[in-house]
Amino acid sequence: MEYAVETISLTKIFSDWWGRNKVCAVDDLNFKVQTNEVFGLLGPNGSGKTTTLKMLLGLLHPTKGKALCLGGDATDPKINTRIGFLPEESYLYRYLTAAETLDFYGRLFKLPTKVRKMRTDALLDMVGLKAVASRQVGAFSKGMARRIGLAQALINDPDLLILDEPTTGLDPIGTRQIKDLIIELAKRGKTILLCSHLLADVEDVCDRIAILYGGKIQAEGHVRDLLQRTDKTEITTGHLTHNALSKIEQIMDGEHAEYAVTSPMDKLETFFISIVEKARQQALPTSGAESKTQISDFLTAQAAEKARPAAILDKLVSTSVSSQPSGPAASPQTEQVHPVKTSKDMPADDLLRKLTEDAQPETVSSDREEPVQAQEDEQQAAGDNILDRLTGPSQPKEKQQQKDENGGDSSNA
Amino acid sequence: MRKIWAVAVNTIKQALRMKIAAVFTVLLLILLPVMGFKMTGDGTLKGRLQTFVSYGLSLTSFLLCLFTIIASIYTLANDLSRRQIYTVLTKPIRRYQLILGKLLGIILLDTILLALFGGIIYAIAVNMPNFIKADEEQLTQVRNEFYTARASLKPAEQDVSADVEREFEKLKKNRQLPNGLEKNLGALRGYKGELRRRIELSKRAAPVGTELLWQFQNVKPQDPNQPLFVRFKYDVAVNPPDLAIYSRWLIGDDRQIRYGTGIKTPIYSIDRKDLIRTFYEIEVPADAVADDGYLVVAFLNVPLNDTVVIFPPEDGLELLYKADTFTANFVRAVILIGLRLIFLAALGLLAATFLSFAVAILLSLSVFLIANTSGFILESFEYVSENISGFYNYIFKSLIELMPQFDKFSASAFLVPGRLLSWSLLAKLALSTVCVKTVLLVLLAMFIFSRREVAKATV
Ligand SMILES: Nc1ncnc2c1ncn2[C@@H]1O[C@H](COP(=O)(O)OP(=O)(O)OP(=O)(O)O)[C@@H](O)[C@H]1O
Ligand SMILES: [Mg+2]
Repeated sequence: MEYAVETISLTKIFSDWWGRNKVCAVDDLNFKVQTNEVFGLLGPNGSGKTTTLKMLLGLLHPTKGKALCLGGDATDPKINTRIGFLPEESYLYRYLTAAETLDFYGRLFKLPTKVRKMRTDALLDMVGLKAVASRQVGAFSKGMARRIGLAQALINDPDLLILDEPTTGLDPIGTRQIKDLIIELAKRGKTILLCSHLLADVEDVCDRIAILYGGKIQAEGHVRDLLQRTDKTEITTGHLTHNALSKIEQIMDGEHAEYAVTSPMDKLETFFISIVEKARQQALPTSGAESKTQISDFLTAQAAEKARPAAILDKLVSTSVSSQPSGPAASPQTEQVHPVKTSKDMPADDLLRKLTEDAQPETVSSDREEPVQAQEDEQQAAGDNILDRLTGPSQPKEKQQQKDENGGDSSNA
Repeated sequence: MRKIWAVAVNTIKQALRMKIAAVFTVLLLILLPVMGFKMTGDGTLKGRLQTFVSYGLSLTSFLLCLFTIIASIYTLANDLSRRQIYTVLTKPIRRYQLILGKLLGIILLDTILLALFGGIIYAIAVNMPNFIKADEEQLTQVRNEFYTARASLKPAEQDVSADVEREFEKLKKNRQLPNGLEKNLGALRGYKGELRRRIELSKRAAPVGTELLWQFQNVKPQDPNQPLFVRFKYDVAVNPPDLAIYSRWLIGDDRQIRYGTGIKTPIYSIDRKDLIRTFYEIEVPADAVADDGYLVVAFLNVPLNDTVVIFPPEDGLELLYKADTFTANFVRAVILIGLRLIFLAALGLLAATFLSFAVAILLSLSVFLIANTSGFILESFEYVSENISGFYNYIFKSLIELMPQFDKFSASAFLVPGRLLSWSLLAKLALSTVCVKTVLLVLLAMFIFSRREVAKATV
C-alpha cells in the first residue's frame, strides 16, 4: 500500500556552524497519511511541525530517517507536480502582481497558456482577490498575501496538499472558506496534510490527527475516536411549539434522562459572516480581499476544463466532477455539512426518531451541534481546572448534566 | 527549458521593478552625453574622441559590472533570505534549472543594457566630428588613427639564451665572475638573470651612429591604398638637452638592396626629431611592403644625438595597419565587455549559493578588483617572487591565472589606439573566460545549491 505521506524514523537535529548547540526539532517521527485522508499535525509552538513539513518537501535534509511523499522523493519533479504547498507565511515576490504571481507558478508547472489563464482567473476569484489582481503583492495585507499563497498552492490542482497553518492571518470568512475548501478537496479524492495549533480548525476538517510535542508524537488517531463521547446526545431543531417541547420533556422524563433545554446562541463566526455578507450586498467599498463566501467557482472552473476534450486536467482530477453537488455555490456557507460525522453515528437513534416525529418537520441541521461540541472539548483540553474554577460555580443550572463550562455561549440538549 | 525561461523572466522583472537596473541606467544616460561634450582631452579631435571612448566605455563597463554583481547576488540571496525559494523549489523545477534561469535573466538584461549604452557611445563617437570644428588635417588623423581597427605586429621576441651562456663563459674565462658565485645556486640564477636582462636591453638599444633593424613577416593590410604606421617610443640613457632625439628611418624591403635584385617596391627614408618617452607614429604608404608580406623597419641613431636610444620592451616599436572597420571593432569590444559580465554573473550566483548577501557582495567585489588589477599584481609579484619558495609561488600564480584578466583585455585598450580586436582573439578570450571559467563557476554553483538545505536559517 502506498501512502500519500510516510515518514520513517524521521529525525532532525539542528546544530550551529561549529556543530554545537544542538536542537532536536524532530525526534524519530513515524506517521503515515493515507490517500484521500485529511491529516492534521498538531502541536504547540516549536514542536517541530514546520520542520517536519520542510523535510517532507526536501527543503531540509533529515539528520536521520526518511520522508516520502506520494511514494517518492518530493524534490523529484514527477512527484512534486502533484504536490501543493502553502508555507507558514506566504513568501511571495513582492514586486509581482497577484495575477503575475500565479502565472509564474503556473509556468513552473509547464501549464499551457490557456489553462494557466483560466486557473489564475478562477483562483483569484476564489480567494476573492480578482479586483486587486493587478496590484503588487508587496502592497497586500497579511491576509491577502495569505490568500495568494493558498491560490499558489492550488495552481496545479495537486493530489497532495500540504498546508502549514493555513488559517493564520485570515479573517473568519477566509478561515471558513479554507475549511470548506479542504473538505471539498477531500471529497474529490485529494490528500491533505495540514499543521496548525488552532484546534477548532483541525477538528472541523481532519479525519486523523497526530499531536506533536518536542518533535515526538504524543497521540495519534481518528478525530472521531479521540473526541467522541458516547454518553451524550445533542439535538438541534428549528423553533418548537410549546406543545412539542412539553412532549419531548415527557419522553425525556420517561427515559429518566437528565437534560437541559435552551435556545442556542449564534456562533460568533456565523454572526460575523452574516454581517459581512450584508455589507457586501450593500456594495460597501473595500480595498481588501473581497471575501467571497463560495469556493465553488474555482472547482467548477476545473470542471469546465475537464469538460473540454483537450484539457490536461483529465489526468489530474481523479473524482468525477459531475457528481459534485453544486451546493456551496447555491447555499450560504453556514449550512455546509461538516465531515465530522458525530451526529449520524449517535447511539440513541430511536430517541431521535421519536423526537422528529413529534416536532414540526423542520430540517435537522447537523452543523449546529457539532461546533458546540468542538468548543466544549477544546476548552476541556485546554486548562480544565482554571475554567472549572472560574465558570463552574457561577452558572448553576437545573438538570445540569454536563460540565457546563461553555453554558453561556451556546447550549442545547 | 520553459521553466528556465519563466525564472529568467522573473529575474528580469525583479531587477527592473526593484529599481536596481534603473539606478545604473539613469546614471549612465546622464553621464555619457555629458562626457561626450565636456571631455576635451588634449584639445584635438583625436584626443577628444579617445578620452570620450575611453572614459565612456570604462564607466559603462564598471557600472554594468557592479550592476551584474549586485543583481545576480540579490536575486538568489533575497530569494533565500525572504524564503520565496520555499514556494519555488517545491514546484517541479530542479535546483540547477533555477540557477540557469537566474543566470539567463541577468545575461539577457546585461545584453540589453550593454547594447543600449554601447549604441549611445558609438553614436556619439561617430558623430563627434559633426559637432566639433576640426580642420582637414585633424579629420585625416582621426580617420587613420581612430576610426579604424589596426592590426599590430610586434618584432618577434629574440631568444637570447645562447647569448647569455656565451657571455657567461667569456666572463668565466676572464675570471670576471664574483667570488664563490658558482657554489651558490640562488646567486648564480640571479646573476644570469641580470646578464640576460642586460643582453636583451642591448638588442633594443642603439648607441650613437649605429642602427637597429626589425624584420616583419606576413604584413597584410586590408586595403593597399591605406597607409601603414610605425608606432614607437624612445627611451634614453642620458636625457638630451631639449629632450628630443634626431633620427633617420628606413622602411621597405631591404632584400632589394642586399641581394641587388633591383628596386621593385619603394624604400622610404624619413628624417625626424621627436621627444623622448612619447608615442609617435610614422605614416608609410602600403606599397613599401613586399609582395610576400615582408617589411623591414630600420632606425639610425644619427650623430646629432649624444645618447644611446632605447626602445622599451612591449611597446617600444610596433607596426600598425588597418585590418578592419571601426564599427566591427567597436562591436567586438562591446562583446568583450559582455564576456566580463557573464563571468561576473556566474560569480555572483555562486557566491550567493552559500553566502549571505553582504558577504557575497564583498567576495565578488574582491574578485572583481583582483581581476581588474591582475596585470599589476602579477608584475609586482615577479619582483618579490625570487624570495618566495616555489610552492607558494605556484599556488599564488595559478590563483591569479584563474581569474580573468580584465585590465589586460579591456575594451578601451583596443579602441583608444584604434587597435584591432580580432575575432580570433575574442574567441580565445571567450573560450577562457566563458567556456572554461564561467562554466566552472556555474557548475560549482549548481553543485553547492543542490546540496544545501535551503530552509536553514541564514542569520
Ligand atoms: N533553521 C533552524 N535552525 C535551528 N533551529 C531551528 C531551525 N528551524 C527550526 N528550529 C528549531 O526547531 C524547533 C521546531 O521548530 P518548528 O518551526 O518546526 O516549530 P513549529 O512546530 O512549526 O512551531 P510553530 O507553531 O511556532 O510554527 C524549534 O525549537 C526551533 O527553534
Ligand atoms: Mg510552524
